[in-house]
Amino acid sequence: MEPVSPQVEAGTPRAAETSTPQGVPTRPERRGAPRSWETPPEPVAPPHLQDYQSIVGEAMLEELRFLARGVKGKTMRMVNSTAVGGGVAEMLNRLVPLLGEVEVPTHWDVITGGNDFFEVTKAFHNALHGSNYELTRHAQEIFLTYNGQNRQRMQFTEDMVVIHDPQPAALIRARQDGSAKWVWRCHIDLSNPNPQVWGFLRPFIEQFDASIFSSQSFARQLSNPQYLFYPCIDPLSEKNKELEDSFVQKVCDEFGVDRSRPILTQVSRFDRLKDPVGVVQAFKLAKKYVDCQLVLAGGGASDDPEGAIVLKEVQEAANNDPDIIILDLPPWCALEINALQRASTLVVQKSIKEGFGLTVTEALWKRRPTIAGAVGGIPNQVINKLTGMLVHSVEGCAYQIRYLLTHPEFAAQLGINGSEHVRENFLITSNVRRWLLLLQILCSRG
Amino acid sequence: MGTPEVTTAVAKRTPPKPFYFNTSAHLLRITEYAANTLSELLDALRQCPEDSVFQHTFRTLQEHHFLREGFSNDFAHWALASCNEPKLAEALASVDVREFTSVAELRQRLVEVMENALRDDPRAGGKIGEERFYFCASDIVVIPTTFKAQTIYEFAEGLRRVSLHSIHHHFIEARLRLKLMSNDFSQWLHEDMGLTETARALNRVDIYTATLEDVRRQIVRVVERALT
Repeated sequence: MEPVSPQVEAGTPRAAETSTPQGVPTRPERRGAPRSWETPPEPVAPPHLQDYQSIVGEAMLEELRFLARGVKGKTMRMVNSTAVGGGVAEMLNRLVPLLGEVEVPTHWDVITGGNDFFEVTKAFHNALHGSNYELTRHAQEIFLTYNGQNRQRMQFTEDMVVIHDPQPAALIRARQDGSAKWVWRCHIDLSNPNPQVWGFLRPFIEQFDASIFSSQSFARQLSNPQYLFYPCIDPLSEKNKELEDSFVQKVCDEFGVDRSRPILTQVSRFDRLKDPVGVVQAFKLAKKYVDCQLVLAGGGASDDPEGAIVLKEVQEAANNDPDIIILDLPPWCALEINALQRASTLVVQKSIKEGFGLTVTEALWKRRPTIAGAVGGIPNQVINKLTGMLVHSVEGCAYQIRYLLTHPEFAAQLGINGSEHVRENFLITSNVRRWLLLLQILCSRG
Repeated sequence: MGTPEVTTAVAKRTPPKPFYFNTSAHLLRITEYAANTLSELLDALRQCPEDSVFQHTFRTLQEHHFLREGFSNDFAHWALASCNEPKLAEALASVDVREFTSVAELRQRLVEVMENALRDDPRAGGKIGEERFYFCASDIVVIPTTFKAQTIYEFAEGLRRVSLHSIHHHFIEARLRLKLMSNDFSQWLHEDMGLTETARALNRVDIYTATLEDVRRQIVRVVERALT
């Protein structure tokens, strides 16, 4: 993707207000585009297992080492469809080295295919999310041909082979009689799939020894055992690591965010399913009663025609309100996103449809009181009134904004509980444990 | 930890067998059972595997160990959060897992609570919850830790240092293994250390109004009292 020009729109004028009422802090002046917008940063070396000790405790690391000793000599192979970009590749980039470090050698393969293959698998992906799609014999042939080519190219000598998502699902045909276990890791929501596409894929899926889903609500009834692996975040990644307050302040200054006043933030692509216009409406309702600013930090408007349309809709809804700051960020601004989340008084994720919702996980981890739509995997994370607030409407969202801003002790407790919920269930170390357990359990079944 | 100078008779006791701290790791499975209404929840509760009842009662306490109030078991939470049935939710939440030494008895009690509630208010049974309830279960692997106690001091030190999963394993889940209204810590203190009062006091620690970290602190305090 080309770096986008840092056109922070709507909310203009962004410059300092020239006449403010006495006692009201003056908005910091924006100082132009941060350097990070223009140049992707150098990749950072992945952390080692011991680096997580201060976060999850030595006892957890001991558990992982013990589980790893129980599967000593076993090997794994992960196969997915992309090496860069997307949540699966991001997760594998972190997971594979950690599994290697506990001496469970894990090989990561990426399938190859022509544009026609990826067009078909993109259509499959959308259809499995419920879109209309007419499955043709030609599309099936393309899918099977490329899977066949990859099958010829790859060797499957490991003890456990993990196939991620539908694109490489037909690699299961390479399975030989023997002790190797084959697992299908589904990262998408299969609760309402297109029947033709699911009917085509299901016979492949049921040949696996087990399937893994990201949420109970995403699963299908299958003949093989189904496991629940929550998606996870890496607390040491650029997006989630602890930051110096001076850096948080610098980012806020650069973006014109005033830290002396309450800040609400939604981080997500400019996509109607994330309901950014609904967030603006909720903010405007809440702002009648409580002073606050809204930051909508996202991306996708520069490389996605629909994203650009949604961005325009958001700008129109914002109607030049100087307290609404809309940021169209390139994908390498993880540190800036981290800083904005940490600067936030509340985080909102008012999605109408959602996958697991890792932006919610990120906010909870940073102890931010979070208001989120009760969709997709969000209720796994936000236990209403205990780790955050679930909402179903613009009005409900506005009410919770007002409530949490005027009840800071309750809001702080939500943040504390939310962070502990993430520590227990949604960190990468929990997923290392899940993979080790699955390897042990499946391999012990003979 | 008590100072070495306080060498009471208790501190000098050597148990016939050491206390080995273990822990357990769980892998969640999604079962075929699910419910859209309270009536369906009751039906599924009657039929689901025992490890599913275990998951939504004992295990969920571990998953949510950081909550001090408002969370007892998944059935109660769903009755309130998804079905808006506070009376039933209260009744389900008041089922204390520590009163049961088998999952079968626990299941029977939960079924009775639901049957009574739906008999009193049949309308509630058909109400569709905001979210579906999915019955899960877990595959469990028991894991030894590096901690072993041969004195009461080492026992207190182990309690302070093991993971909260280990505390849950010995203090809450244990009754299903022991088939006793007790826990591994109390059993060892009573049978191997002769500290019957301390063992009894541990059984009075409330797990529903405290986080598991608070529970750990209370256990350590009770054990330390035995040294003074």
